Amino acid sequence: MKNKAYLLVTGCLLLVVLFGFDTKQQHKFTIHFNHKIGLKELKLMDEKYINDFGEGMIIAKFKYYISNIVLTGDGGKTAAIAASPWLIDEADSSSKSIHISSPFTNITSIQFQVGIDSIKNVSGVQTGSLDPLKGMFWTWNTGYIFAKLEGYSDTAKVPGHYFTYDIGGFKKGENAARKITLQLPVSRIANPASINIDADISKWFLSKYEILISRTPICHSPGALAMQIADNYSDMFSIGQFK
Amino acid sequence: MKLYRTIFFLLIFIITGGSWVSIAFKPTPLKFEIPKGWPQPKYDFKNNPLTKEGFELGRKLFYDGRLSRDGNFSCAACHQQFGAFATYDHNLSHGYNNSFTFRNAPGLANLAWQKEYMWDGGINHLDLQPLAPITAPNEMGETIENVLNKLKADAEYKKLFKSAFGDELINTQRLSKALSQFLVMLVSSNSKYDKVMRGETSFILPEQLGYDIFKKKCTSCHTEPLFTDLSYRNTGLPIDDILKDYGRMKITGNKEDSLKFKVPSLRNVAMTFPYGHDGRFFSLRSVFEHYRKEMVVGPTTDSLLRNKMPLSNYEIGQLTAFLYTLTDTTFLKDKRFSPPGAEIVPSFIHLH
Ligand code: HEC
Ligand code: HEC
Repeated sequence: MKNKAYLLVTGCLLLVVLFGFDTKQQHKFTIHFNHKIGLKELKLMDEKYINDFGEGMIIAKFKYYISNIVLTGDGGKTAAIAASPWLIDEADSSSKSIHISSPFTNITSIQFQVGIDSIKNVSGVQTGSLDPLKGMFWTWNTGYIFAKLEGYSDTAKVPGHYFTYDIGGFKKGENAARKITLQLPVSRIANPASINIDADISKWFLSKYEILISRTPICHSPGALAMQIADNYSDMFSIGQFK
Repeated sequence: MKLYRTIFFLLIFIITGGSWVSIAFKPTPLKFEIPKGWPQPKYDFKNNPLTKEGFELGRKLFYDGRLSRDGNFSCAACHQQFGAFATYDHNLSHGYNNSFTFRNAPGLANLAWQKEYMWDGGINHLDLQPLAPITAPNEMGETIENVLNKLKADAEYKKLFKSAFGDELINTQRLSKALSQFLVMLVSSNSKYDKVMRGETSFILPEQLGYDIFKKKCTSCHTEPLFTDLSYRNTGLPIDDILKDYGRMKITGNKEDSLKFKVPSLRNVAMTFPYGHDGRFFSLRSVFEHYRKEMVVGPTTDSLLRNKMPLSNYEIGQLTAFLYTLTDTTFLKDKRFSPPGAEIVPSFIHLH
């Protein structure tokens, strides 16, 4: 009787060990989004930052959806990370780290989308990070707000000098979802536990297009302006530090 | 022997009793009837299977003022059953904090056949519709989060969500799915017109003449059986300089959609006055005067109305007689759609 019990226990242990090995194949790491404006670290409702046009601004809100992460590694193989979209919110520090299990020991590039697939924009009310109560949703003209940047600028000729860029749009001709691919540097430590992705807000104003707060302090609907700003901010990401 | 018998009966009792308990936890499916000759509905019932419990929850929510900031504005405050779920006798509806809506509240019926909602079609799913009035400052003026918190604090709602969805979780999706279950059941298909179509009765002469004119002049837009083809059209209503409402263009950003609005259904039209997207027409007569005289033909005015719409006084009389046959009193008085508790018979006693 006692023998049998031992057998059972060792069996279980063996199983645990085996499964343990199995999950070891999955390399776990954290992507951390690090928000900057130019060279400065972003702090909400704090310092007055200056964009490339000399416009001063205090940032009140900065958030965006990251979805469809695809990793490339181990000789060009790719792996899609199945998980619901992440809402990265400067106001919620835990939201800025996302935890990933990668099948690769050596990742060469990270691809992701800023935005939400159109299917999720046309199938009613979603849950989790996509719950409309997160405030990243237009109720009167159905669709997700993919990215939001709001704040105060003396140059914004709108009530309270409060500029608001709510960027989204999933329909043909106004699609604001953007794919971003970041190559990881070749000479770096293997198997990093965390990778920083820097996001530089100053790119919202100047990259492919010139977006002046004094000229367009508001973007509240899909369309040409939203797509230009999306083009701009798709350049804001770069690979930062490793740990 | 006696002992065996008692055990036997006890067992029977436990088994039947037990099965009753398990039945009580399973929601009762509710059948969605497609009226004879109607197209397939567009609502995705697979993603939100109708149940008696879900419908009842939706009904309670529809009539609950707590969905608004100050408790005064339930859905039913603007969508009144006796007015075919439009705001009876109001061009614009009253909302939170002495405000007005920007548009005329349309009647709610046959929503399961629509794919887009609002006068400009801006909402692409019925489940999403409630979020707009709940959060609009000039309607219910509330946040979704607050509404959910109010519901979560109410033991009765916890019970109702559990019986409809299996557990006590209350979230945005369940709130809207329950409301949709109520909304899709609002089917109006028992007017005199429907009875005539089913061969159960016949039109009197003016109604018949009106129907003949209607088929010639109106059905290309107000298409049977829904009495709308659900397209967006400009029927020559000049812009209101305060509301500055360009309709469909607000959604598509396309100049060609300027001043286009969804063709409204004419079911129960006798009850849904005032008319037009901003309620500017106070009677059917003024709608007809618009079509034949007042219309302003502009670049995006519908090609069918380039020369306005000639209508004689006789035709107007007959058309009116026909439009009155679209009033569905069964629908307007259907107890299933009235405020919960308004029925004389408690809902657990089934008479029909
Ligand atoms: C303050 C008045 C008001 C309240 C409260 C209100 N509505 Fe409405 N409803 C309107 C108006 C006005 C419209 C038309 C809006 C538009 O087209 O821009 C409308 C449109 C609708 C439509 C679209 C109908 C169609 O054919 O396109 C539905 C469905 C609807 N409401 C359901 C609801 C529900 C459910 C609630 C409660 C959560 C609600 N309404 C609360 C005024 C109101
Ligand atoms: C070219 C398409 C078209 C034709 C033809 C047409 N309608 Fe309309 N009708 C509309 C549209 C669009 C509206 C909403 C206009 C608005 O408010 O901007 C409307 C509104 C109405 C309304 C007001 C309904 C409400 O609830 O607000 C009535 C009544 C009406 N039409 C009756 C008729 C009749 C009767 C005929 C035939 C004599 C007719 N219509 C022909 C497109 C059409």
